[in-house]
Amino acid sequence: MDPASTAAERVAIFPGHGARAVSFECRRVCVEFQLAQSIRRVLSDIDFDVYDGEFLSILGASGSGKTTLLRILGGLLFPAKGSVVKFKGRIVDSPPERVVTVFQDYASSLLPWRSVEKNVALGLEGRTTPAARRQRVAAALEMVGLSEHAKDYPWQLSGGMQQRVQIARALAMEPSVLLMDEPFGSLDAMTKASLQDQLHKVHLETGATIVFITHDIEEAVYLSNRVLILEGKPSTIAKELIVDLPRERDQVSTKESAPYLALRHQIYDFINGLKYST
Amino acid sequence: MTSIRRINGPGLMVAALLLVLWQALIGSGLATIEYLPAPASIARAIWSLAAQGQIFPELAHTLGVALLAWAIAAVIGLSLGLLLGCSPFAWRHTMASIELLRSMPSVAFVPVSLLLFGFSVKMELALAVYIAQWLILVNTVDGVRGVTPQLLEVARMLRMSRLERTVKIVLPAAMPVMLVGLRLGLTVSLVMAVVSEMICNPAGLGYQLVFEQRALQTDRMFAYLAVIGALGILLNAALLLVARLIPGVERRGGLAA
Repeated sequence: MDPASTAAERVAIFPGHGARAVSFECRRVCVEFQLAQSIRRVLSDIDFDVYDGEFLSILGASGSGKTTLLRILGGLLFPAKGSVVKFKGRIVDSPPERVVTVFQDYASSLLPWRSVEKNVALGLEGRTTPAARRQRVAAALEMVGLSEHAKDYPWQLSGGMQQRVQIARALAMEPSVLLMDEPFGSLDAMTKASLQDQLHKVHLETGATIVFITHDIEEAVYLSNRVLILEGKPSTIAKELIVDLPRERDQVSTKESAPYLALRHQIYDFINGLKYST
Repeated sequence: MTSIRRINGPGLMVAALLLVLWQALIGSGLATIEYLPAPASIARAIWSLAAQGQIFPELAHTLGVALLAWAIAAVIGLSLGLLLGCSPFAWRHTMASIELLRSMPSVAFVPVSLLLFGFSVKMELALAVYIAQWLILVNTVDGVRGVTPQLLEVARMLRMSRLERTVKIVLPAAMPVMLVGLRLGLTVSLVMAVVSEMICNPAGLGYQLVFEQRALQTDRMFAYLAVIGALGILLNAALLLVARLIPGVERRGGLAA
């Protein structure tokens, strides 16, 4: 990606989305971790925008700094001096309002002493009227298909259901941006496919912007409007792909369609090329 | 909710068998151990102490001291523990002193308390509070410091205030470990109350125990011993019963130790 291009130019190259507003703006984002003897640079000159309403996947091998990048967007971690991260034009110096993160580790992100509905209500308490809260919790649980389990405790549910509770907690906040850190990474293939479809539906229904971290190429192509590939040591954005698939997606027909297969092929080629060229 | 299942049948049977064996050996005169009465004589002694009403004021005294000391220790230990647990700065500066003070053998403080407060209830209370609060404090600090970073991250992400984070995340997450401290504190409060009564303050079950021993009333001495033991078991069971009302507490190890 050409770092010199302006936000306006990028909007123009993002097909099918017209002149969409920019949600996140990242410029020259670098992250360094202080080690015992040295400083390790994890991310270097990361430069990209997130557009309103898009489903953006950030793809990378483990250790490529994907989670670090997501934490920066979420205002949970701060990049090195000189980096610029803005949300709606404002520098991100704490978690922005209505930007909600779904963590990879669902088991330790839910409160075991709260029932499912109370977990989902966590972020709303004291911020809405009790009636509005109940209604939003019910709607969020409905969206992830967990209405039946409102009174259960997280540890009584399967892994996939627990992750859905976390997603419901995020949805109850009526987020403008959902930041998802490999949310389906530790789930079995069948649960994963069904959650992908649910998430896709949620994206279409709510119109929320979704930034989705994954190391799964198929998942990235299947769900996204756009894919960024993180590569290198330190990592940088090595490639951007526009996923120009129909809005409605299906585990069978989409994954057998020529454009899907071509994109998948392109990404594998790109990643293998990186592997063999170094 | 599941108290029926919790009754340990085989365990109770072994205990009952031991009692029967003890009764058979001592009661029949098959074995004689000086000053060791048979269980039946001890039971008779308990019954007569209860029937005369003599045991109840002593029981109330010791129980009252233990519970009051525990409550005071809980207030001190929980609040100070929360404070030290939340502030790495405060913990770093106080940890060494706390470790030093709490590592001293508790009974060694009996003469100290006696010097400060004389032969009084205050002496009993001070000693029990002092010893119990360390257990509650240290466990509270451990619990608060042990809250997983992931939960704190959730609190940040949901833009919780400091107060909200403490009340909704830190305290409930630390609660199982805090409960362990509270249980140990309760046990120790009772122990320190009895020890003070035995050595210093002439009141309560501890004093009666020593009194009967000096009077060579072994049946009665053992009766007091049994009552003190039962009191310990009952206090612990009561606390467990209350703790069990908290959802999920057993799964999270809150009833361990």
